[in-house]
Amino acid sequence: MFGSKKRKKPQRDPHINKLIEIVGEKEVLYEDADLLSYDCDGFTVHKAMPKAVVFPANTEEVAAIVRYCSTNNIPFLARGAGTGLSGGAIPLNREVIISLVKMKHLLSVDYENRQAVVQPGFVNLKLTNSISDKGYYYAPDPSSQYVCTIGGNVAENAGGAHCLKYGVTTNHILGLEVVLPNGEIIEISEAGVPDSPGYDVMGLLTGSEGTLGVVTKITVRILKNPEGKQTVLAYFDHIEDGSRAVSDIISAGIVPAALEMMDKTAIEGVEAGAYPVGHPDDIEALLLIEVDGIKAGISEQIEEILNVCRGRNVREVKVAESEEERGRWWANRKTGFGAMGAISPDYLVQDGVIPRSRLPEVLENIYEISRESGLRIANIFHAGDGNLHPLILFDSRKPGETEKALKAGTACLKACSDVGGSITGEHGVGIEKKEEMRFVFTDEELEAQIKIREVFNPDDLLNKGKLFPTPSRCMDVKKIVKDTVAVQ
Amino acid sequence: MGTKEVPQEPRKDTSVSLADAFGNRGAEVLTPKSEEEIAEILQKANQEGKKIAVEGGGSKRGYGGTKEHYDYTLSMAGNKGVVEHKVGDMTVTVRAGTTITELQDFLQEHNQMISIHPNWPDQATIGGVIAANESGPKRLKYGSARDLVIGLRVVYPDGEIIRTGAKVVKNVAGYDMNKLFVGSMGTLGVITEVTMKLRPKPKCESLVQVSVPEEKLQDLKDLAVRVQDSMIEPVSLELLNTALSKKIINQEAYTLLIAFEDVEKSCRYQEEWIYKHKPEGADVEVIHQQEAHHFWKTFKNLEPSGLTAPAFEETQAVIKIGSKNMDVYEIMKESAGIEAGVKVEAHGGLGHGISYYTLSGPERKVISAIQHLRRTAEEKKGYAIVKHLPYHLRDEIDVWGKKTSYFFLFEGIKRTIDPKNTLNHQRFIGGI
Repeated sequence: MFGSKKRKKPQRDPHINKLIEIVGEKEVLYEDADLLSYDCDGFTVHKAMPKAVVFPANTEEVAAIVRYCSTNNIPFLARGAGTGLSGGAIPLNREVIISLVKMKHLLSVDYENRQAVVQPGFVNLKLTNSISDKGYYYAPDPSSQYVCTIGGNVAENAGGAHCLKYGVTTNHILGLEVVLPNGEIIEISEAGVPDSPGYDVMGLLTGSEGTLGVVTKITVRILKNPEGKQTVLAYFDHIEDGSRAVSDIISAGIVPAALEMMDKTAIEGVEAGAYPVGHPDDIEALLLIEVDGIKAGISEQIEEILNVCRGRNVREVKVAESEEERGRWWANRKTGFGAMGAISPDYLVQDGVIPRSRLPEVLENIYEISRESGLRIANIFHAGDGNLHPLILFDSRKPGETEKALKAGTACLKACSDVGGSITGEHGVGIEKKEEMRFVFTDEELEAQIKIREVFNPDDLLNKGKLFPTPSRCMDVKKIVKDTVAVQ
Repeated sequence: MGTKEVPQEPRKDTSVSLADAFGNRGAEVLTPKSEEEIAEILQKANQEGKKIAVEGGGSKRGYGGTKEHYDYTLSMAGNKGVVEHKVGDMTVTVRAGTTITELQDFLQEHNQMISIHPNWPDQATIGGVIAANESGPKRLKYGSARDLVIGLRVVYPDGEIIRTGAKVVKNVAGYDMNKLFVGSMGTLGVITEVTMKLRPKPKCESLVQVSVPEEKLQDLKDLAVRVQDSMIEPVSLELLNTALSKKIINQEAYTLLIAFEDVEKSCRYQEEWIYKHKPEGADVEVIHQQEAHHFWKTFKNLEPSGLTAPAFEETQAVIKIGSKNMDVYEIMKESAGIEAGVKVEAHGGLGHGISYYTLSGPERKVISAIQHLRRTAEEKKGYAIVKHLPYHLRDEIDVWGKKTSYFFLFEGIKRTIDPKNTLNHQRFIGGI
């Protein structure tokens, strides 16, 4: 294992040499200084150094790397743009990171069949930009869409502001090419044909947070732009009125394309950020509502939305008068997380989901958590589908405050799961919410999932230590002992 | 077989029971009344090495399955009823044995619906529909079961009860285990409860039927391409062949069913759009609300099912084809090459890629027609599944078609969850 020849420089790890053989010298990072920026992703609370980062150019190289790692018992994981918010790409076990950013091409677009084929490193927004001249777009639109990759979106089953009407990533994936953890390449629904016979392996892989395979090619559904689109901004003096308006809109039989909400602290943040729009500073909540579809039918729905808001004591409600104004409202919303940096040195994003009718009481609980922890919590979220994003503001330089923030985050998730909700709507479990999985699943249910992982990833070398709580059951402990022995 | 003396009215052969004709039935029928009872039955059967066939309303008895003998039929028909309906959250939790019609009728009172429109809604249960991944023409806009199921309760073969997903519309906690059971043909667990996303009932429903004579079929494809490249938003773009058009709307023509469900103004605008772009010489009929509703009701009850007594001296088969969207058209065109003597009633979604072919005729000819369709589909990188066929033919024709290169994953999944093959053994792809 260790270099024993007498050389001036310590000999390079032979595994690194092997990886260089596969992808070339320039495509492997292994010096500590180069690896530093890969010690975490969008979840910055936890950091760990990888063994190396490799940049394959094609599926065959990915497969060769995976095969090498797998035969040599080297932990590995796949990484896209590193924007994940739950730590799914953090190398907890000194992994070899397979960065897919160089596999970044749009391979084909088939307008007649409404599908496009992309490599995993292709940036989400670039897809829409590449097809917009023909009036098409790719629906899933996470806030980080200008930088996040579609491969990463598949791993996380990413959502976005418009998934209320159009669904999340899994609803838009038609086919996948995948390198399994043993290095085998499989192609699921090669032509993007629906209902492929057999178990829905594609559905399992989507949202598996990179623990079942490395996706190397993706066939996605593309949609035609809606004919019309109108956006409403509503300001409320009482947060409860805003929350109730959300339910009223849905109950009125309207399916908005987006229904977003921000509370007072969030508004303070976005107004201090890079894209202020001049929201009043004394309102308690705002709603950003978008309706799209056939032009002829939109005004009727907008009228109904305005009425609902008025019925809930709205202070002011307006319809965007131009595409430019609409664009400004959305930029203000989509950069909302980052904008918190303007009012707090650090912030932690949470991602709980609740049945939307429970919004008022859950928000009240979150404010209670804020009061108890002494930390401010801003809420900026997808109200229409009940996907909350409490942003816990803290200062990591103050001793103990990071821990306090993490604790408050966990408490928020508990508040969501207590009303029958979930601990994550789109950011994933990663390492951040591993333990909180117990809020929503029993041991037996977790075990059922782990058994599925074992079918794909029997040696648990791919993205180990993510998604599931640390072992508590004897079965898992036994496995750990086995693994530890195997690694020696 | 082989005799030309086919009775004019296909006679119901009462001597052959449905179970004999379609298989998938156990020696004893068990009708548990609760999830606990189901769990007890499964646990015991699993321990004793007994084999169970799971059944809802029985409409899919002819769908897959090459095993001659099961020890028990586990009938889910007694497990019905809405467990929880959250009107404001637009979600419903329902017991698996509830029929589609029962569920829709219940939701209708709240101006809501499940947006999945499978065949035989009066008989088909929600559990069966999910397990077989059934859908209908409107999946173009509304998606299919995998898009709409948000949570399940499933009894594993060892009696363990597992929840998957949650009762919220957006959720990525853990693996998306719902997907595992949608379309698994009951080979992994018994679904006892289903939670689904709902949609508001559309304020306006309309259906535009555009018909053209056979030689002008290409015009309908061009229209469909144009629709798909426009901004109008149909809920169906279903192409019907002449035999099916004749049967439903009495038109000796190919027909495109373009449905709209929206507010009234949108529907009208889109109907007009179709009028404006209709092919020259095409026959266009528009129906609304009750009439459209009635049309779809008829449409959903046309294909033979496991509850239809097999016709004497005639073999009936239903084929599901998956292809690229526009290949639906190509495959339908090529289906004209099926030899004479087989009646072919076909429809397929030009926006979603799923087609159904009902074949009836002499046994051998039906078999070769199935092979013809399968070849055509596979040449286009699609597939053809036989979703309804008498039991005695299911050995001869592999219902599921060729195995995928990653079949070992399916085997791994089955082995992990049902190592003793307790549930629906040999019902699914590759004998799983």
